[in-house]
Order: sequence, then C-alpha cells, then structure tokens
Amino acid sequence: MAEAVLLKPDRKFVEEIIDSGGGDLKLCVQCATCSVVCDLSSDSSPFPRKEMIWAQWGLKDRLMADPDVWLCHHCMDCSERCTRGAKPGDVLAAVREQAIKHYATPQFLAGMVNRVKQIPVMFMLMPGILLLLAILLRHPIEGLLGLGGSVHDEAFYASFFPHWLLIAFYTSLTMLAFVGLLGGLFKYWKAMKAADLADGRQIGETGIITSFIRTVTTILLHRQFGRCTQRGNRQWTHLFAFYGFIALFAVTVYAVFDLYLFPVVGLDSMYPFNLMHPMKILANIGGVLLIAGCVKGILDQKKDAGDSSGSTSFDQIFIWLLLLVGVTGFITEVFRFTVGVDAHGGAMQFTAYAIYFVHLMCVFGLLVYLPYSKFAHIWYRTLAMVYAEYSGRTKEIAGSAMVVPVATEVQTAETQKQESSEEASADESEETSAEESKEESEEESEEEPESTDKTDSTQ
Amino acid sequence: MDRKVAAYICRGCSIGEALDIEALMEAASDDFEVDIIRDHEFLCGDEGCALIAQDIQDGVNALVIAACSPRFMTDTFTFDGCHSERVNLREQVVWSHEPNDEDTQMMAEDYLRMGIIRAQKVDIPVPFEEEVDKTLMVVGGGTTGISAALDAANAGYDVVLVEKEAQLGGWMGRFTRQIPHTAPYRDPQPVDIVDRISEIEADDRITVYTEAAIEGITGQPGQFDVRLKANGTSSEFRVGAIVQATGWKPYDANNLGHLGYGTCPNVITNVQMEEMLASGQLTRPSDGQPARRIAFIQCAGSRDQDHLPYCSAVCCRVSLKQALLVREMDPEADAYILYKDIRSPGQYEDFYIRAQEDSGIFFTKAEVTGISNGDGDNPRIEADDTLLGEKIALEADLVVLATGMVPNAADSEAIRNLVDAEAVIEKGEEGAQLEKAKQTVEELKHLKGTELLNLDYRQGPDLPAFKYDFPDSHFICFPYESRRTGIYAAGCTRAPNDSLLSREDGSGAALKAIQCMELTSRGEAVHPRWGDMSYPDFALDRCTQCKRCTEECPFGTLNEDEKGTPMPNPTRCRRCGICLGACPERIISFSDYSVPITSAMIKAVEVPEEWDEKPRLLGLLCENDAYPALDAAGLKRIRHSSWIRFIPVRCLGSVNIVWISDALSKGFDGIIMVGCKSGDDYQCHFIKGSELMETRSENIQEKLKQLALEEERVKLVQLSIDEFEKLPEIINEFADEIEEIGMNPFKGL
Repeated sequence: MAEAVLLKPDRKFVEEIIDSGGGDLKLCVQCATCSVVCDLSSDSSPFPRKEMIWAQWGLKDRLMADPDVWLCHHCMDCSERCTRGAKPGDVLAAVREQAIKHYATPQFLAGMVNRVKQIPVMFMLMPGILLLLAILLRHPIEGLLGLGGSVHDEAFYASFFPHWLLIAFYTSLTMLAFVGLLGGLFKYWKAMKAADLADGRQIGETGIITSFIRTVTTILLHRQFGRCTQRGNRQWTHLFAFYGFIALFAVTVYAVFDLYLFPVVGLDSMYPFNLMHPMKILANIGGVLLIAGCVKGILDQKKDAGDSSGSTSFDQIFIWLLLLVGVTGFITEVFRFTVGVDAHGGAMQFTAYAIYFVHLMCVFGLLVYLPYSKFAHIWYRTLAMVYAEYSGRTKEIAGSAMVVPVATEVQTAETQKQESSEEASADESEETSAEESKEESEEESEEEPESTDKTDSTQ
Repeated sequence: MDRKVAAYICRGCSIGEALDIEALMEAASDDFEVDIIRDHEFLCGDEGCALIAQDIQDGVNALVIAACSPRFMTDTFTFDGCHSERVNLREQVVWSHEPNDEDTQMMAEDYLRMGIIRAQKVDIPVPFEEEVDKTLMVVGGGTTGISAALDAANAGYDVVLVEKEAQLGGWMGRFTRQIPHTAPYRDPQPVDIVDRISEIEADDRITVYTEAAIEGITGQPGQFDVRLKANGTSSEFRVGAIVQATGWKPYDANNLGHLGYGTCPNVITNVQMEEMLASGQLTRPSDGQPARRIAFIQCAGSRDQDHLPYCSAVCCRVSLKQALLVREMDPEADAYILYKDIRSPGQYEDFYIRAQEDSGIFFTKAEVTGISNGDGDNPRIEADDTLLGEKIALEADLVVLATGMVPNAADSEAIRNLVDAEAVIEKGEEGAQLEKAKQTVEELKHLKGTELLNLDYRQGPDLPAFKYDFPDSHFICFPYESRRTGIYAAGCTRAPNDSLLSREDGSGAALKAIQCMELTSRGEAVHPRWGDMSYPDFALDRCTQCKRCTEECPFGTLNEDEKGTPMPNPTRCRRCGICLGACPERIISFSDYSVPITSAMIKAVEVPEEWDEKPRLLGLLCENDAYPALDAAGLKRIRHSSWIRFIPVRCLGSVNIVWISDALSKGFDGIIMVGCKSGDDYQCHFIKGSELMETRSENIQEKLKQLALEEERVKLVQLSIDEFEKLPEIINEFADEIEEIGMNPFKGL
C-alpha cells in the first residue's frame, strides 16, 4: 500500500468552483451514480465521481492535472440522475473554467476577460484604442516602409483599414497570446503525465500521432456529443457553430494567400471575391451556420437554465461574442455590396466603417483573447482528448455503453441512446485498423459476462 | 358459596358444521357435574348473551364458553362476579383440523373437559389494594428529567425532582447551542433548557432537591419510601413510582491513546469542544494560538469492539453542529469531518445538508488509523478507506474526538454480588468459598459507591443492566420498561439519545409511571398483564427457604428475611408466575393459576389406550406470543396434528416440573413447550422466562433418564409471534418424532 498522501484542503478554490457555476458541488455524497450513467467515462479512470470529491476538498493540483474533466461534454446525464442534486455536470464545467484560468499566461487577463463588469474595458476600450492607434500609425508606417498604392487599397474597407495592417495587427497580437497558450498547454500535458505516472498508470500505448488522428476524427464527427441523452440536441448546436467557424477561418486563410501568395507564384489574385466566387459562397454558408449555431446555443441555454444547469458569464460572454462576430460580419458584407466601392464620403460610408470597426473589435475579442476565454476549450479539450487516447483511457468507452435504465420514464431515451452508441461504436471499429478492431472485439467479448452479471444483480 | 358451572357451546363460525355438538355436550355432561349445558347458533349475539345473563341471574357463577379464542370477544364474554373460562374451539380446533373427523371430535371433547375442570377450580381474584401514593419521583434534572417532571405535573401529579448537581439542566445546561429541534432543521438553535427550568421552578406541584443523593428506597410501587440527603439536610417521603433519568457520561477518552488523546496536546473530546465553543475562543491547548484547521474524528471509540461496540446516535449531529459553530465564529477556519457513516436520521438530513453546503466544512468517510503529534504540535491524522480512494494524511491545528455516551447507571447485579461476597468474608467462611469471595471483592470493589437509587431489593440496589450496560429492556415493544416494576428508565441512561428524543423519552416514561401508579391503586398488574388482579399467595408454613423464588423473580419482587424466607411485595409483581414454576414445594399459587389447577387440566384429557395407536402430546404455550401465534395459524387455516392438546401458561418460566411428570404418568407420549426468545435481544415478556426454562429443562432431562424415557419426549421451542406460520410445522414435526420413538410405556398404568 502506498504512503498516505498529505491533503491540503483549499476552501478558496472550493469557493471559486462554486462561483464558476458548481454551486451544488458540496452536496455530493459519492454514491457514484454519475460515473455509472456517464457514457463518456472510462472504466480505468471513471469520472465525475472522483472529480467531485477532489473539488469538495479543493484539491486544485489534482483537478488541474486531470484530463477527464475535458472528456465531459456537459450533456447533464449525470446531473439529471444525481441523487443529491449536486449537478456534477456543472461542477466539471466550472473546473474546466478554472483550468483555463489556471493555465492562462498572464493569469490576470483570464480573470478580466470573463467578467461581465469588465466588458467595457476589455471588449470596447482595449480593442478600440489599439485599433485606433493602428489607424493613426498607418500612414507613417506606410511612408516608412514605402507601402501603399496597391490596387487592393482601393477596395472599400481597405481604404479605411488596409489589408497589410489587418494581417499584421491580428497576426502579431494573436501570436503573442498564442505563445502564452502554448506554455499553458505544455504545462497541462506535463501535469497530466506526471499525475498518471505517479498513479502507476501505463501510458503511451497508443502513439501520439494515432491519438491525434483519432481525436481529430472524433471531433470532426462530433461523436462524443452524440452520446448525450439529456441534452442531445446540443450536438447540432455545436456542429453548426463549429463548421461555421472552420469555414470562415478557411476562407480567411485563403484570402491571405490570394492576396499575397498568389501574385508571387504567378496566379491571378481574385480578391475581393465577388458573390459567386466559391470561397465567397463558402464564407456565406459558414456565416449562416455560425449565427444559427450561436442563436440555437443561446436559446438552449435559456431553456436549460430552467431545469438543470445555468450558464455562467464565462459561457455567455463567449457565445454572444461569437454571435456578434457573425452578425457584424454580415452587415459589413451587405454594406460592401450595396454602398459600393465608389461611395466615398457621406453618412453611408461612415456607418459602414463604424460597423466594420465594431466587427474588428469583436474579432479582436474572439481571437486575441482566445487563450483566456471559453474559446480556449478548443485547445485544452483537444489536448486532453489526445492525452486520453495516449493514456489508454478511451479504450474501454465503447464497451461501457451498457447502461441500466434508472427509471421507466427515461427508458425510451435510454434505448435510443443504446442504439446510437452502438452505432457509434460500429463506426469506430470500421475506422480503426483491422488489428485494433480485433483487439477491441476481444475486449468486448471478455467484458460481456461481466455486464450480464450486472444486469442480473440489478434485476 | 357453591360453585354453579354452566357450559355453552357456540355453533357459529363453522364450529357447528365441523363437530358433532350433541356428542360433545353428552361427553362433557357425562364426565363432569356441569349444572347447565347449552348450545347456541351464535353465542356472541345479543340473544346468546342474554341467555348467559339469565343463567347468571339464576345462580350460575362460573362459565365455560366453548367458542372462539379468548383473544376475541373478550368483553362480550366477561360478566361481573363470574369466572368466564374460554374453550378455543374455533381457531385451535375447527379451523386447524379436518372437519367431522374422529380425532377432531376427540380434541374438542378434551378441550371442553379441560375448560370445565378449570372453571370448577378457579377462584375469582381479590385484588391487593392498599393506600397508594401517587407522587412521581424523577431522578436526574437534565433534559429528560425536566421533561418527565413537567409532563407529570401538567397531568396533575405531584413530582419530586432529584438532582445531584447544584443546578438543574444537566449537560444541555452547559452548552451554548443545540442541534435544531424545529423546522427547517438547518441551523443550530439556542439551548432552550433555561426556559424549561424556570417552568419547573414556577410549578407548585414540583418539589426540587438539588445537590441530592438518594440514601435508600424501600417498599414497592405506590409505596416507595425514599430517604435522601439534599443540600446537607435529610428528607424522607413516600412516592408511587420513579423515573430514572440519570443521563450519560462521555466515554473515557484516556482509552483512546491511538487517536492521540493524552499524547497530542491538541487532541480534545467533543465535550471539551462544547466548553471551548461556550467560552467563545477557538484556541489550541498547546500554545493558545487560534485553531483554524479543526478535524472532527467521528466514532472515536464507538462502533469499535475494543471500546463501545454501539453507535451513540448523536455524535454525528453534534459534530455537524460544532463544525457550523466553528465556521460561524471564525470564517477563516476550516472543519474536516472524518466519519464512518454520517448518521442524521429523519429531518436531520437537512441539518447534514446545511453543513455540507458550507464551503469550509470538508467531509470524507475514513477509517482513522492513527493520530500523532506533528511539527509544531499539529496533530497529524492518518486515515484509510477514504472516499478519495487512497490513504490520506491531514494536518490540523486541533482534533476533536467525537466520543460516545456511556449510561449513568449502576451495575446492580454486580453490586449485589459484591455485597454477598463481603457477607461471606464477614461470616468467617473458610477454604474455597473464602477465596472465591475475596476474588469477587477484588474484582468488583470499584463499584462501591456507584449506587444511584439505593433500592432495598434482595437482587441489588439499582436497575439491572442489559446489553451494553443500559438498563433498558432493549425490546421495541417495551419502551422504558426496566426489570423493576414502577421504575422506568428514560433518556440517555436508557439509550443514547439526542436532546429532542430525551425530551420525548421523559414524557413517555412519565406516562408509564403514571399508568403504574393508577393500576397499582386498583390492585391491578402493569405491563404486560395489564389489569390482572391476581397475585401470588405463599403458603409460607411449608417454605424450605431454598431461595429459588427470590433469586429467579425477574423483577426483584421478593425480599428475604434473615433465614431466607421470601417477603412478598405484591405491587412489585408482574404476575408472570415464574416463582410458581420455580418452587419445588409448590407453595406458590394464584387464585386462577396454580400447580393443582393445571395438573387437573392435564389429567382431564382422555388418553387413548396404547393399542388405539392414537398418541397424545401436551403443548404448553406461552400466552404472550406462542398462543396468539397458534391462533394466527388457525386464522390462516393452517392445520396441525390433532394428537396434541394445548394448555396456555403465563410464561414458560411459570411451568412447574411437576406438570411434566403428571403428563408423563397420565400417558402423554410427548411434551412440547413453546415460549419467547431469550438472550440479550430477548423478546420474552418477562425477560427471563424462556432462559429459566432452558435451565430447568436440564433437570427434566435428568428426570426422563431416571424414568428410562427418551430425552426427545420433552421439547423446548422459542418462537416470536411473526413466526406463526412455522408453529404448525413445528408441532407436526414433533408428532412425527414421537411416532417414531413410540408410545409412552407408562400409558394406562
């Protein structure tokens, strides 16, 4: 038996989790219903039961080194069935918020970016000043570097905020923030690994590359969302916003290439794209998807606030910002095509520029603050999911889909879930290499008698 | 007065269809001189009752009602000044045997004969009535005692409240806050005992003695004469009944060295913690620095075979309360609660949730393996089997051991053994007896001076202790009952209780005591033979001073004179008849229950000749559980062997061995005795009845050997009422066994 571990209970951290939306955390009596009903929980490292007791005792180090908190997709299956109303789903969400704040560099930014009170400073004053500064410094810099006179500068918005400035401004600031993010990710990976090694867990059985490919496939297919029963519709919400954002991001990157790379390699630059350009069509579809996803997300949150989980400012600021980026983007586009290139001067142009400015401010909030806001989940979650593969956690998940219905009224949902998870596991085995699928099926057959026992004993 | 017996046979409830009533009437009148014998279609109806009433008017003074079980229609068939003997033809004959069968008919005839002979021999009891004092004495002025005193006074009884301390209030009087007594059961409440103390002081019916010690109590319920010394002056008075609410003391933490008590300066008990909370300062005993990390160790020495094997039921809630108070006094302080199980029954779940909700109260299940003194006198706790799934260590500023409750009760039987041993030494005995006495004195001398009630009872000065030293009956059906009639244990001396339950306990015990005083004043018995007016009569001229009755009476009814002759105290008696069963000279009898009456009933059975191949079995059934169990089996129409004849007895302990020999010489082939369960968790209504019968059975086996009879012919069975479905099966198995052994060779001699 291992040496006793000295616990250092931390009330302040408990209170932070409570403030981040885990308000009922302390009610947990460790009955483990949550881990049993969770379809994403693995047999070798089940959650969220252990996270609940760690959170109750304020054991921050453990929670900050725990990949399992990110395997949770906040479907609320556990919160719904919790025998004491401790809402483990919300607690894990709060822990994730704490993780983003914990790994953020510099940390104070994470504190400010997620506070409603700080919105005027962080999302209006700060980007406003920086953008204005950029506009003011535009001509001196152009003169200094001998820029200007490019055909693109004649474009409608480019005369207000030229492309070189746009790219330079956002790339430099985003990259700056990204350095901090990389540090956080690196620390997180190290912490997860150290915790598992201390636990004596075998890790690295699945290679990093394989783990990464599997994770990306899972994310692209939104497989984990598909396992939810309590809030299953969130799969579509997230899917819309996710692909909307990807499309818009892809078009942006393409536009940069079009502007600066194509002329170098001798291709014709098509920028600014007309409405029928394939990239423009993609961008418009992406925008619609993004807005649809955000609106649905906000409506879902409103609905859920009534029954089980309320969202926090951490969630709210992010989703509204994402929506604003989409909406202001569209308005900006509309002005470009209606007011036109030639409409120099006048109220219309001023309005167009003003809206474009707001759009730029929103984009600033989204991209530059990414490592500090909920948006950081795209990195932390991906990293944790890769790590989960790497440490062998996800191996048993497909086999653990056997859930005994807890009440008759959820039986139908339960059956549906079983079906869908069966489908999911079928998908998975198709994709995995022949060798692995063999392994998996062996494992499944080994587990079968055990699961029959379980069913018997509950009957 | 001449006895005029009338027998009535009811044909109702299918009795008439299952038996040949005419033959039955003929058999009864042939064998006995019954003055009147009648049958009726529906005896318990108005017409039937009118018929009986008419006969009584015409001079009948003893009735034999052959109908349903005596457990039914009791009031209907009770007539003033007339003994009413019930013959159970319904449940135990027609409902549990083949109808219109030869054996069933023989059975009914036997029961009728037994009933008639009993009606001829039984006398109507004349109650023992003497001047009775209806003052209640409450010993102990804590939560329980105050409650008992107030409730009895409010019910119109005079109360004497005796407290050993200078002030009333007990433990609760020293605490700042109590666990919530009222909805919403979430926050500690101010201690409310002060208000109740002033109520006591304002009540004219209540006399309070403080700094008091009882020097002696003589007499019996209704006539307890108390001598006590209070505030330096002696008083003497008479009371009718006593509630013992002497409370509890904390388990001695000096035995908890493994939990750091005595070795770590910063390990204290929950009682010390209460004092600290009352002082308003949360400081470490070692250096007087503020205690900011306070660990509560639950079940410290409780639920532990090496210490207190039981749960004291309150420590969990006390620690929840103390943790909440710690948090209230110092918001920067944390409380860790390490428990085996949190026990917060009923509404107290909300209290537990309240404590859980506090971010500064940390909970985990844990098996604490040790507490040692760490750096800077910080206790270091090590625990295994935690909810964190691993061995943990915790450092605290202060550790509070949640120790359990030990009853403030004297071990009466041990004290009596001590007194006896001392008498042996004083008498100048020699040899082994002296050695043994010396050893006993050595072992028990620490008990000297622990007496609380100082009762002048042959069996010891206090309430006899049961399991875990609590004097309570421990059986769910007999709350507050002790083994001393008229003395009721309540509060933490009865069982570990919280303050709310202690209050209820006080009320309950006061009601029991009032019941006792009222019944005693009418010459009636208390639980479980409420209203019984018979009491034992001792033909002392034939007594051999064997002391069996004085020793075996479970209730200490009998004192002894110097020679060892029993000195009855009728109102202490519960009328179980155990003395009657014990007496080898058969000098003890009740007017309606005695050795000759039951012997006559046994002899009234017609035992068929050996060649008839109809064995006869005698069943002696305890009236408390076994007899109703057989009725219940009859109600369910479960059949049993028709070779058996049952006689109800007051308790298995009241079975005199002579009945066994009578039955064997009469030609019965086997005897089965069914009584209640004995042991620590006994269910025997007279506590020791079944146990005594077990001991006596050894003598019976001896007797069987002398007669060259098989041991299996006499069987002892213990049964509780919920096992009624087993009883017919037990009877049938016994019948099969006897058939295998063969007929009693004494048959027909």
